[in-house]
Amino acid sequence: MTSRLRRLALLGAAAVFGVAASAPKEPLPPYSGAYEPQTVDERGLWMQLDEAERRLRDSAFVLKEPALTEYVRAVLCRTVGTDRCRGARIYVVRNPEFNASMAPNGMMVVNSGLLVRVRDEAELAAILGHEFAHFEQRHSLHRFQHTRSMTDVVAWMSVVAASGASYQVRSTAINVANSAVGSMFAFGRDEEREADLLGAKYMIAAGYDPNALPDIWNRAMDEADATAFGRKQKSHRYDRLSFFASHPTDLQRATYLRTLVAGMGQGDAGREPLQTAVKPLRGAFLADQIKLNDFGGTEYLFGQLAGDTWDAELLCARGDLYRTRGNPRDLVSAAAFYTQAIALDPANADAYRGLGLAQLRGGDAHGVDALKRYLALRPDAPDHAMIQTLLP
Amino acid sequence: MTLRNAVSALIVPALLMCAAPASAGNTLIAKGQAVAVAKSALTILPDREWNKMGARPGRNSETWTLDGDGLNDVTFYGGIETDRTLFREVSKRVKPLPRFSATMLLTDIPALLENSYRIALATPLMTIESVAPCAFVGAKGVTFTYSFTRPNEDVRRKGEGYAAIIAGKLYMATFEAPDIYYYDRDIAGFRALVASARIGAPPQS
Repeated sequence: MTSRLRRLALLGAAAVFGVAASAPKEPLPPYSGAYEPQTVDERGLWMQLDEAERRLRDSAFVLKEPALTEYVRAVLCRTVGTDRCRGARIYVVRNPEFNASMAPNGMMVVNSGLLVRVRDEAELAAILGHEFAHFEQRHSLHRFQHTRSMTDVVAWMSVVAASGASYQVRSTAINVANSAVGSMFAFGRDEEREADLLGAKYMIAAGYDPNALPDIWNRAMDEADATAFGRKQKSHRYDRLSFFASHPTDLQRATYLRTLVAGMGQGDAGREPLQTAVKPLRGAFLADQIKLNDFGGTEYLFGQLAGDTWDAELLCARGDLYRTRGNPRDLVSAAAFYTQAIALDPANADAYRGLGLAQLRGGDAHGVDALKRYLALRPDAPDHAMIQTLLP
Repeated sequence: MTLRNAVSALIVPALLMCAAPASAGNTLIAKGQAVAVAKSALTILPDREWNKMGARPGRNSETWTLDGDGLNDVTFYGGIETDRTLFREVSKRVKPLPRFSATMLLTDIPALLENSYRIALATPLMTIESVAPCAFVGAKGVTFTYSFTRPNEDVRRKGEGYAAIIAGKLYMATFEAPDIYYYDRDIAGFRALVASARIGAPPQS
């Protein structure tokens, strides 16, 4: 470019900026700290959400785990950039369902069930980026205005019915402490696509492996199938899109995400950092999952978490899952899993406890030895006296 | 109309419709008269007046209270059979409850209650806090304490339970009340009920 052309270009730019300065000021993006809600609708929405956030903040359901919360924040910041992530306040909530959400005022809720399901940092980034995209594009506000403009009860009901089930993974979306917030998160299908696309862009820019996006939807479908199969129900995977469905079906979504990321190359998966961050709480999260009485889905999930190598904690959890179902064959399988866990970690008191209880319930007197070992390994066990009564 | 108002406008009449027949069936349990509870051979001799809730949690269970449901609840489970749930399932399809089995060890009973509560109340905040051997209705039993919090409420409740498996059926009594005030005030009243519990012929009043 010659110097004359460059000068012209500069002049042109100045003119454009000049015009912009005299026009009414654009509102700040919603993630900037000083952003104030603009319209009456937005102010009303924020008022309700600020109140919901105050309740959530003090709720017993929020995990008081600063290290884990900080890790989730760090992943969000890497994904969407430091400037944007300042607008988010992160709450990790004890809830075994696979879900996350972000409210228009910047309150981001991440379920423990999400953290135990994502295999690596890239998958976590995919979900966080998607939720952030909803926030950045003010989808909740649009939906709120759209809903407010409708008057008939059927339209209201569709919003109510869709509340909470943001990922359509299970229809049993457990009510988080903030049900008022849940009902705001029924986005339209187009908005979901938009958020998927923007979320994908964030991932690529941050250097994460874009394949994480479709991967997680495929596994979500497989898990839902496993749950349905375990309960002797039909798979919902290929259901046609119903009129009221707020999300694209998982199959549709996995398919277009696969197309979207094709040819985008490889990125960083970040398996180690995620596992390190979740490890201190993984045992508790796995226990929450076992207690859902969802044998099929849980067995699938554990298999996915293990991959090729089952560690002692996962084997012990799998033993608990089988022992809880408690058919005679389950008790035999459970004993085998506990035995494998003990082989990997000979000082695992929980595995000895499980082994002993599984064997005794199955009528195998060897359980006594395992329970004695449990009591020896953990002399101050809270159920010491109870276990003692099972010994001859 | 805000979104929340609209939701409550839809839900409140529905709740009222459900509540009306239930409250109609509440009855007074007289002091000093032995009564068979939970449609079973489980018999209790109360040392004070109680109110029996008209709404049963399930086929073989019933709830007594002093001040009202949720403030101090005693629930009796009378002879739950193999392959039955502790209480009625909200949705057998989407939220199936775990089922009792006569092969269960006594240590499995607190876990059965914990998992049933977690699913029925949709809360992961339900924990068994202690487990110990005891005698209940003249049999070898298990006593346990627990605490739980319902979603959208954040009231911490504490509970205590006694259970025994007799002839392949589960007999259990639980007490639960808010951690603040009610639990400590009324736990002794519950323990008196448990001490009077018998199977079969009612004790002499």
